Amino acid sequence: MKIRTMGRHTREGFKNLFRNGWMTFASVSAVSVTLLILGIAIILSLNIQNLSVNVENQLQINAYVADSVPASSLPALKQSLQALPGVLTVKFVSKEQALQTMRKQLQQNADLLNGLGNPLPNEFVVQAIDPNQTVAVAHEVKSTTGIQSVQYGQDFINKFLTVITAVRDAAIVFIIVLLVMGIFLISNTIKVTIFTRRREIEIMKLVGATDGFIRGPFFIEGTLMGVLGALIPGFILYELYRWLVSSVTPFPPFSFLSTSFVIDRTLTILILCGIFMGIWGSLVSVRRFLRV
Amino acid sequence: MIEMQDVWKEYGNGVAALSGISVQIKQGDFVFVVGPSGAGKSTFIKLMYREERPTKGHIFVGGFNIEKLRERQIPIMRRHIGAVFQDYKLLPKLTVAENIAFALEVIEASRRMINRRVAEVLELVGLSDKGKMFPRELSGGEQQRIGVARALVNKPSVIIADEPTGNLDPENSWAILKLFERVNDQGTTIVMATHNRELVNACKKRVIAIENGQIVRDQERGEYGYED
Repeated sequence: MKIRTMGRHTREGFKNLFRNGWMTFASVSAVSVTLLILGIAIILSLNIQNLSVNVENQLQINAYVADSVPASSLPALKQSLQALPGVLTVKFVSKEQALQTMRKQLQQNADLLNGLGNPLPNEFVVQAIDPNQTVAVAHEVKSTTGIQSVQYGQDFINKFLTVITAVRDAAIVFIIVLLVMGIFLISNTIKVTIFTRRREIEIMKLVGATDGFIRGPFFIEGTLMGVLGALIPGFILYELYRWLVSSVTPFPPFSFLSTSFVIDRTLTILILCGIFMGIWGSLVSVRRFLRV
Repeated sequence: MIEMQDVWKEYGNGVAALSGISVQIKQGDFVFVVGPSGAGKSTFIKLMYREERPTKGHIFVGGFNIEKLRERQIPIMRRHIGAVFQDYKLLPKLTVAENIAFALEVIEASRRMINRRVAEVLELVGLSDKGKMFPRELSGGEQQRIGVARALVNKPSVIIADEPTGNLDPENSWAILKLFERVNDQGTTIVMATHNRELVNACKKRVIAIENGQIVRDQERGEYGYED
């Protein structure tokens, strides 16, 4: 195809967008709504994935030291923990450090802690070499003299991972259904546009235009509608997510992914999906009218 | 130029539009196709630019074997044929000049060549000053002249016209006919299906009469021969 012809198709494609203003609006709206929902699903799943990574990284054993253990015997206790089989690292967290961390986590609500003194015990954070051995290691840790109790959140993690997997599977099915619906909507709206332009196509064929030539502007038009239909929800999601990140304080192990990371990923997917939907929709619909 | 050998056309509903037509039209001929409504004139015309396919028989148009034409070759074949229609078939959203240029754009002609040819044919049909107007701003006769201009812009070897004067008053009908005669004088074959008795009788051209899907008369310097 000559460059001149590509130029013509592009010009025509743009012109058609405006000439069929209302149909363009309908199509772009259909794409936008579909992609908005898709975008929400993507942002959710990105953050859920991040959450599960956070949780897995925090697969650790918190061993709380009995208050009766004097500070002088803490190094010895640390050594005996370190000597246990399957232990990777042991880190000491003093009552004071623990309190400070809690204050940080509570942020503006840190005042709640005032007047309570320090209710937190000294603590060893034990990491197992193999995360799957966390339970066994935790039992060993608990039976060590001087350790009052252990927490390793295994139950929580198991349940949590089950829920995450289920949510992710459901999201994938949901997204596929959405995409199919979106393509259906677009091809339908474009079909209506093309129906009103049937005469145009008929005349093009009668003066000797090839099918490829006739498809050209529709191809461009579909692409443009797809991109437009992706940028609108992209912008909405960007603003919404930015607002969410700045106004909601997440609590561990939850944390928001950065706005730029999320929007980069989401927008790329939305634009690709939009272009795919637009081109697919327009080509499928134009095919029927090429048989003159 | 155009040759049909024992051509039959049956539509899906079993109606036989043409039953064994054989005809030869030479380069530079001017042929009127006449006959009552529903006799098969339109089918005869449509077969020539492959809007319809024959059920049986052979059709050759300017070196193309129509029944063996591949889907991809149809556009190429049509570029050698100028088609003129009763309802003009102009694109309402394009200007007059754009409508004509359109037939050249599809063959990827250069902008310069397009501008030159459009100006030439506009002058030929006597509408040089209307290039920037839209079809709805023109009279029926003017619109049909644009239709003829578009058909001519590719320098086709044959013009096929289906009732080109069907919607026009006598004066405009004559204008279209004069145009065809001028083009014919330069060697372009003209095949024109028509109901216009005055035109046919005044011109003394070859007349092919079709009735019930068959050629019942084919005379040089013929008459219209019907009373409608």
